[in-house]
Amino acid sequence: MSQTKSIRVQRYLPEQEPEPFWQNYEVPFDESTSILDALNYIKDELDNTLSYRWSCRMAICGSCGVMVNGIPKLGCKTFLREYGTRVDISALAHFPVERDLVVDMDIFMEHLEAVKPYIIDKSKGRPTGESDTYRQTPAQMARYHQFSNCINCGLCYAACPQFGLNNQFLGPAAITLAQRYNLDNRDKGKRERMAALSEHDGVWSCTFVGFCSTVCPKHVDPAAAVNQGKIEAAKYTLINLLNG
Amino acid sequence: MQKPASYRPSMSRRWWLQHQHFVLYMLREATVVPLVFFAGCMIAGLWALNSGAEAWVSWQAFMANPLVILINLLTLAASLFHAATFFPLMPRVMPIRIGAKTLPVNAIVGGMWAVVAIIAIALVAYFIWRA
Amino acid sequence: MNRDEFDIVIVGGGGAGLRTAIAAAEKAKAEGRQQRIALISKIYPMRSHTVAAEGGAAAVTDEGDSYQAHFDDTVSGGDWLCDQGVVDYFVHNTYRELAQLERWGCPWSRRPDGSIQVRRFGGMKTARTWFAADKSGFHMLHTLFQTSMQYPEIERLDEYYVTDLAVENQQVHGLIALCVATGEMHVIGAKAVILATGGAGRLFRFNTNAGTVTGDGMAMAYRHGVALRDMEFVQYHPTGLPGSGVLITEASRGEGGILLNKDGYRYLQDYGLGPETPLGEPKNKYMELGPRDKLSQAFWQEQQAGRTGKLGDSDVVYLDLRHLGKDYILERLPFICELAKAFVNVDPIKEPIPIRPAVHYTMGGIETNGQCETSIQGLYAAGECASVGLHGANRLGSNSLSELLVFGRLAGESASDLASERSAPSKAVLEQQAQQQLDLIHQLKQGDGSENWVALRKEMVKAMESGCGIYREEAGMQAALNTIRALRQRYKNVKLEDSSESYNTDLLQCLEVGCSLDIAEASCLAALERRESRGAHQRLDEGLQKRDDVNFLKHSQVFYQGDANATITWQDVDVRFSAPAERVYGDAAKGAHS
Repeated sequence: MSQTKSIRVQRYLPEQEPEPFWQNYEVPFDESTSILDALNYIKDELDNTLSYRWSCRMAICGSCGVMVNGIPKLGCKTFLREYGTRVDISALAHFPVERDLVVDMDIFMEHLEAVKPYIIDKSKGRPTGESDTYRQTPAQMARYHQFSNCINCGLCYAACPQFGLNNQFLGPAAITLAQRYNLDNRDKGKRERMAALSEHDGVWSCTFVGFCSTVCPKHVDPAAAVNQGKIEAAKYTLINLLNG
Repeated sequence: MQKPASYRPSMSRRWWLQHQHFVLYMLREATVVPLVFFAGCMIAGLWALNSGAEAWVSWQAFMANPLVILINLLTLAASLFHAATFFPLMPRVMPIRIGAKTLPVNAIVGGMWAVVAIIAIALVAYFIWRA
Repeated sequence: MNRDEFDIVIVGGGGAGLRTAIAAAEKAKAEGRQQRIALISKIYPMRSHTVAAEGGAAAVTDEGDSYQAHFDDTVSGGDWLCDQGVVDYFVHNTYRELAQLERWGCPWSRRPDGSIQVRRFGGMKTARTWFAADKSGFHMLHTLFQTSMQYPEIERLDEYYVTDLAVENQQVHGLIALCVATGEMHVIGAKAVILATGGAGRLFRFNTNAGTVTGDGMAMAYRHGVALRDMEFVQYHPTGLPGSGVLITEASRGEGGILLNKDGYRYLQDYGLGPETPLGEPKNKYMELGPRDKLSQAFWQEQQAGRTGKLGDSDVVYLDLRHLGKDYILERLPFICELAKAFVNVDPIKEPIPIRPAVHYTMGGIETNGQCETSIQGLYAAGECASVGLHGANRLGSNSLSELLVFGRLAGESASDLASERSAPSKAVLEQQAQQQLDLIHQLKQGDGSENWVALRKEMVKAMESGCGIYREEAGMQAALNTIRALRQRYKNVKLEDSSESYNTDLLQCLEVGCSLDIAEASCLAALERRESRGAHQRLDEGLQKRDDVNFLKHSQVFYQGDANATITWQDVDVRFSAPAERVYGDAAKGAHS
């Protein structure tokens, strides 16, 4: 750990300064030092006042999303070795910043809830006994499984210019979650979800920039989910039109 | 519960210049401009065909203008570029599944390019044969 | 200060907390009660550490398996320190809970006919572990979290840090919480409080746990007089990544992975787990499918004998999956591949993964009876923070994900019943407790202390690692206990650098260190006083290297004494069904208790 790197962190301390500012820190690093390790080093050794979110440090809890040189990254799975002399860390884009690297996730949570992300099945044949289960073949599971791997880190929202321009857009993760349930053979709730998805702030706000899928740390491919959603929304609208 | 003061960085008008991915996206969207021109040419051609020989000849002359040819070559490049960005999306939006396995993206994208190539070759062969 | 009142308040938004909240909501609905339920978590629920569990959840599933077999595996796995009535209840209720999760949408891995697939796990006589690839905890947590969204009665308080319970005369009245976003104190009255705050792996330097696993809930109950039970039993997971401690699931071995020392030799056959099983034919309770304590102990022995390899500063052995083949590895263990590539730059399809044991799980916790009730009326505990008596001296892999469902549900339903009978909480008690917390935080921010929590935490994790490791000695444990006691005194003199209100993580981490120090004392004291070797507690001291049922077939109970030293007492173990027998694996188990 003899080498060090200079890291710039965007600070925002509303109780002391009305505007955000950049602060430099000198951090030792080796091959295995992640952005999160660097932040933890700063917090412990250099500046106790730095605030950021983190938890599992193994790329599954989704807490530590930040912008590194303007690109959304998961702090624990991004390593200092990947960068040259410039390492600028700031809060996730397109969300209100509450302090330092901490953003307000309320709107994200609202969008998740808006798509009714749970099994809806009121059919007669559904399993009801307490030890009963549905059948789901590997092929049936393969239809939605990729979309169930979303860790809700929010990187795709920070990558989406449409969400940046209009935060009422449901956004990649929420639409992916809707599609995850729509494609599950246990679920019969697609119609209930399509109302929110078919609105202007649903799938139609997406112009397929596609950067959401590029930055996704879990290869969920939200852009695919959103564009599958467009096909579903078109069908839904057409059927509603024909039914009057 | 009142949240504390927060700031929301506004997006600059030049947001799309900040990353290569966004530049390519804007370029893809811009392909619509030459395509509109080409569509206009086609509609004018149909109108000319309907309006008699004189109109048809002057439309042909217009289409033979080097500047128009240049623009339409640009249109060809633009539509190929658009296809190149669009084809990889197809297998993701409409995945082809055999059992629990999904047909590889490369196979589907390659297949679509093969179709493009076959149509192009057939058309060229047809015109050569006619000539 | 902000004031609110609920019928039921759940602290912790992980698997246990979410299951509790849903159970309480359903119970209230079924009984026609109007109950307000709060789910308080210091982080967003889907960030909770349940998310990192990989391998799966155990339940008697296939024909040929039996409740008796799951019971026997759990009790012998826990070296007969499990409360057997509790284990009996547990094994009978796990299937029902996993099936419920299936109906809520959990993407459990399947057989070709669409039925549930099970996999092998360490210390289990037969394959009975339900799994969702190698992200079982992740899928369970997200399924529970998303399902909880359809219950409007569950009001979530995301990113609220509970600083203390309001207790008087052994009765709970609610709690005091800090809104992380604003720094404002919330005084929350409740008729029933359920602690589901997880374990305390962060007492140790090298661990598989999230940064949040600091034992806050344990400390809260402990400070109000509830015993911490069996805290000496700390599970080392045999396969953590060197450097980071990131978990490599036991399912790697369940699927057929093998452990090699630096000479490429499957060393487990030398530690009572043999004979060697053929490559690609894992056998339950043999070799790599032995229990976690035995495997971690075998690593230590190899390390002492100089047969471990090196990666950076770490001594390592190797987990070899290559013979399983690319397709199978990618189907069953995709997350392991991702983690090994990211954190040690190894592709498990092509190379063995360097691994070493890391602290993983806290077997002990807040003492509860079989109904999840603590000694304080109205206060429950469930999940890893609790010691309901299920795991004894060593937990079997895949029993904890099942535990948080089974006991989360039980706690939620009981709490709903109790809340319908209890009178409204006392405002006076709440206000008094809140004032104390305000004073404490003021002291931390504005006082004239000189200590920094970072230094205290560093000394704590170092002391715990050297004194309470895989093998323990009298002198080492005594030294660790002395260090922790000194650190507790120094903690009173701690001062924050950050005095702001909004997102003051300096304050939060400082409070967490305070909790950790208190329970570290309990852990060291119980370890020192348990003068025998059992399960995860192995002593090197002369004459104490064996289990001693005459004197120590007992739970340890540590009680908080404020600034003074904690005290310890002993409690009988419920052994109503199965008398203690020798704990054996591999061929040695043939003909023994099985």
